[in-house]
Amino acid sequence: MAQFVETLVAAAGDHLLEAVAAADMDEIALYPGGLLPVVDRLRAQGFNHLLDIGGVDHHPLRPRFEIAYHFTAIPLDDVRADWRRSAAASGMKDLARLRLRVFTDDDDPVVPTLSHLWPSANWPEREIFDLFGVRFEGHPDLRRLLNPDDWKGHPLRKDYPLRGLERRFTPGGRLGAVPPLNES
Amino acid sequence: MSAVDLSVFQNNPDLTLAPGDEQDTLVLSMGPQHPSTHGVLRVMLRLDGETVLSAQPEIGFLHTGIEKQAENLFWQQAVTVVDRADYLAPLSNSLCYVLAAEQLLGIDNVPPRARVLRVMFTELTRIASHLVWLGTHCLDLGAQSIFFYAFDMRERILEIMEFVTGARMHQSWFRIGGVALDVPVGFLEKIDDLLARFPQRLTDMRAIVEKNVIIVDRLVGVGKIGQQEAIDWGLTGPPLRATGIAYDVRRAHPYADYETYDFDVPTHDGGDCYSRFVVRLNEMHESWRIIKQARDRFPDGPIAVDDRKIVPPPKREIQHSMEALIHHFKLVSSGFNVPEGHVYQAVESPRGEMGMYVTSAGGNKPWRVRWRPPSFYHTQALMRLAPGNLIADVVAIIGSMDPVFGDVDR
Repeated sequence: MAQFVETLVAAAGDHLLEAVAAADMDEIALYPGGLLPVVDRLRAQGFNHLLDIGGVDHHPLRPRFEIAYHFTAIPLDDVRADWRRSAAASGMKDLARLRLRVFTDDDDPVVPTLSHLWPSANWPEREIFDLFGVRFEGHPDLRRLLNPDDWKGHPLRKDYPLRGLERRFTPGGRLGAVPPLNES
Repeated sequence: MSAVDLSVFQNNPDLTLAPGDEQDTLVLSMGPQHPSTHGVLRVMLRLDGETVLSAQPEIGFLHTGIEKQAENLFWQQAVTVVDRADYLAPLSNSLCYVLAAEQLLGIDNVPPRARVLRVMFTELTRIASHLVWLGTHCLDLGAQSIFFYAFDMRERILEIMEFVTGARMHQSWFRIGGVALDVPVGFLEKIDDLLARFPQRLTDMRAIVEKNVIIVDRLVGVGKIGQQEAIDWGLTGPPLRATGIAYDVRRAHPYADYETYDFDVPTHDGGDCYSRFVVRLNEMHESWRIIKQARDRFPDGPIAVDDRKIVPPPKREIQHSMEALIHHFKLVSSGFNVPEGHVYQAVESPRGEMGMYVTSAGGNKPWRVRWRPPSFYHTQALMRLAPGNLIADVVAIIGSMDPVFGDVDR
């Protein structure tokens, strides 16, 4: 594992779960409290591009929700040469990638937002709020993104039915909800 | 352009007029049926006259739950739904997915013929996708004739796709471990014919549009973004390369043997709509070079790994061999298990870095397929790119970002 990952592990402190050199990239698993200190440190290391934020529901395992952040370092042209030298000194590959896995649990899952650091974090965080029901503390505009505002439930949770709630006309002529098809 | 302090309105999600705002601004809903939004994008614009003060894209009209569906299909079945996200470049999606699944399975011996076919067809897809972009983008700008040149060429590519895979649009032709079918007799002649025609056609198309006064006037200096901001907004692919950063996943993190092909990564330094325009035109030429190299090395041999637990046996063997029939039955009825783990696999789709973060819980279905849709981030960046421009320029900006809404909404 590269030397710079160890500085990130130190920044995570008590919130660290584990640090692994996975086959595709180095990864650090941590609890939400460690996210901002680690992100501050890795931004200083040159990881300037937030590639993606994605959610995973590990239900029924605990902790239940995983928020996976992927970062990459894209040196700007005018600083490229200097950056290469310092990256090599800290044991980092050019255009390296890094993954943070933040774990949070079912009762009121909250993760700090990164939208004040990267404007690109705005929509993926809204999408995770929409599809998983994980809140992002400090997000300026935490509304549903893909589903309508009055949607009930969070579709990508594992306990959300695949076929949805079927609505049928009851003999009285009123719409009533019946249990989801694949839970009977 | 009137002098308005734009900073007040940028990133302001609330488009209703608040007390104290200028009372002569107008809120306009552009889309979701507006023809220039290429699918179903709605942009809420706040206008001062014709100048955009703030823009708020709204998405989700094409949300079909592809990620949820993929979780409920066998590993090999999910290729079909994955294909349908970015519907202009379906093979890029499947390539990303099968490479991720192969990493989890530890398959690294995909035969050379399958590797070459994968590269050849994803690059054909890139050209076809860029041709749709070129035709429709210029149509938005008022140029009619280029559309017919572009779509005629795309038709020839789709013809080859249909000839080989049986489908024009959603090929679903890549499989975990290789490709689904071998190419039919006569394929190489068709590819040679295409390769011979394409450079002249590209030159013709460039002659029509590249130095065209109207197109240049409509694009130069519009929707400009700098290097630092492009990175902050998560841009990849042509919009990032148009700012002069030569970041291409095929180079930075090679997959599918791209490191063995000789090609350039086109960049441009304007960061505006015209730079994105030129970058895509140049990319088509580079794709042509890659296909030519793939054609030259086109090897004989099997088209999928020799592992009956993952790839079904050939049909003629099923008719004679009991074991083959059992393997076929097991694969169709219950799929195969993939070891527990997670992996991030990225490919350079025509739109930018398409990544998949695939998690396996050890079962015969993916536990989670998280997409990194490039169009999603590019659409989000309209918030930054549109303010300060005229409404007509918003059309040019949307076209130059080339979003595909199957990819944005999934």
